[in-house]
Amino acid sequence: MLVKQVPDPEAIVKVKSDSELEIENKYFTNFFDEIAIEAGLKLKEKFGGKVTVLTVDNKKVDALRRGIAMGADDAIQITDPALEGSDQFAIAKALAAYLKDKPFDLILAGRQAMDDDAGIVGPAVAELLGIPHVNTIIGLEVDDPKKEVKVLREVEGGKEILSCSLPALFTCQKGLNNPRIPQVMNVMKAMKTQIKKVDLAALGLNAADAGSQAAKIKVQKYLSSPKRPPVKMIKEDFPENVKSLVKLLKEEAKVI
Amino acid sequence: MALDFTFTEEQEFFRQMVRDAVNRLIMPRVAELDEKEEFPWDLWKEFAGLGYLGLRHEEKYGGMGTDTITQMIFYEELARGSCGFAMATIMQILMGTYFIARFGSENIKQRILVPAIKGEKIGTICFTEDQSGSDLGGTRTLATKVDGGWRINGRKQWITNGPIAEFCTCMATVDPKLGLKGLNFYLVEKKTADQDGFVPGQRLHKLGSRCSVTGELVFDNVFVPDENFLGEEVGKGIQYAGEILNEVRVMTGMNALAIAKEAMQDARQYANNRIAFGNLISKYQLIREKFAKFWAWYEASRTYLYKCAWMIQNKVPCVNECMLAKYHSTEMCMYAVEEAMRIYGGNAFCSEYPPQRYWRDAKFLLYGGGTHEVLCDYLGRIYCKD
Repeated sequence: MLVKQVPDPEAIVKVKSDSELEIENKYFTNFFDEIAIEAGLKLKEKFGGKVTVLTVDNKKVDALRRGIAMGADDAIQITDPALEGSDQFAIAKALAAYLKDKPFDLILAGRQAMDDDAGIVGPAVAELLGIPHVNTIIGLEVDDPKKEVKVLREVEGGKEILSCSLPALFTCQKGLNNPRIPQVMNVMKAMKTQIKKVDLAALGLNAADAGSQAAKIKVQKYLSSPKRPPVKMIKEDFPENVKSLVKLLKEEAKVI
Repeated sequence: MALDFTFTEEQEFFRQMVRDAVNRLIMPRVAELDEKEEFPWDLWKEFAGLGYLGLRHEEKYGGMGTDTITQMIFYEELARGSCGFAMATIMQILMGTYFIARFGSENIKQRILVPAIKGEKIGTICFTEDQSGSDLGGTRTLATKVDGGWRINGRKQWITNGPIAEFCTCMATVDPKLGLKGLNFYLVEKKTADQDGFVPGQRLHKLGSRCSVTGELVFDNVFVPDENFLGEEVGKGIQYAGEILNEVRVMTGMNALAIAKEAMQDARQYANNRIAFGNLISKYQLIREKFAKFWAWYEASRTYLYKCAWMIQNKVPCVNECMLAKYHSTEMCMYAVEEAMRIYGGNAFCSEYPPQRYWRDAKFLLYGGGTHEVLCDYLGRIYCKD
């Protein structure tokens, strides 16, 4: 399961400079990734096997701890100073490098991270590994003996059922399941779990393969949301005030 | 380098997990729980299933044996939701099972504590009577030694979870003339066809904390075996009560932090959207001052409460400190909810807006662990002696 810790929607985000954001230290696990973890755990409960949660992050490991608290068996953090400034493609490269020689049947990820909303990492990992990929699934049915999967996804005006062979990668959409709330016993276990760390050298990558050097996309400029315009008080009496209001709505607000 | 104000990474993670459980299970139902004024059995079962009721108990009975700081983090996060549900839950975790875990025989622990941690048996503690509450020395419920056990006679009031409790830890005196020195704790179960026990009396309808059910318990010549005496020797009850009261006071302060913060966060959002005289009301200095004062008092309260939690955890004597912290934090909470009411203006006075609920819930915190009149009288006396 590919997971990411993202800023809480309530966190205050400010533009610090053209290329840097200042984000309040309030993070939570990307909700779509929780759906992916839940889907993995449901398959484990049905067929056995192991669920591993994997992240690329130099600082925040709570998404991994949440995975353990929900019931995952292992947690891996890919971390290296050279990863700073990575874009989605560089992140995918690191994940694929870790996964390429690991035995797995299925990789699940959230449909997109709720911070950058890019939705690139999951499909990019599948491409790099050369395995089938379907995005935004809302249904998942595994035929374990045949190593085949049927997935359901919403399309314009309806739904479609797709099938493919395993191993495969799917990104998960709201509606696939309701992620479980971790039991406190598992929370305590997660608090004590030693997160396994892997650096770029262990993945056979070097600094030029990751971070800002390898980034295919560069942020040119961050722009703040426009501030709410000041309130305009209409001080005339009736009926002049109505006339003025209509004029403003037509000419300034351009809503009528 | 001894002074350290940081939570560990693990504690922060624990807080996030509790917050998340509260956000998903309780927050969407807060107004409904308050309005219905009924114990939410469905929510209780779901929440108990997460295992938090065993937070402070030993692992061999199904608990987690967490440290005091972690427990306080839990209390702070839990009370962000429904104050009533927090009260019912904390009664089960802390007061309702404390003496059973501390003094109960193995048989009692298996029979009472284990199902209590699972949420299957609801428990409570009984201090208050019609003429005693903060004045524990005025306890009149009488425990008389008889062959093989004790007979208990009296009525207890203001018992959180009382109407739904299957067991209670009852404070009773062997002789009212002994005052504080006559007090002891007894495990008493609810009366059934097969066993003697307490009978629930009248239920109280409260201003706030409304989904925790509160009422009277009647002890009519109830026989309990010697095994149900919870203590090492007769007359030490007040000493034991002192142990738990430190935790109860800091816990109450944690609840106050939660209510105050929620109330002021709502008020901030309101002030940042409400326009008066052509400006957002958050632009006016008199409104800003309310937030500034709250912020200062809130941070002071929070820091001091966690210091007290640290003292309890490290077994540093802290009776006075815990009283001070409880007093300060619940008064801070009253300030916050009162000012939140004012920031909302007339809208605060209708049930469609949340400040009135925070205000009603905050009031509930003033009494548990000692009224402020009793606490301040004591603290003032101690201070003047110094």
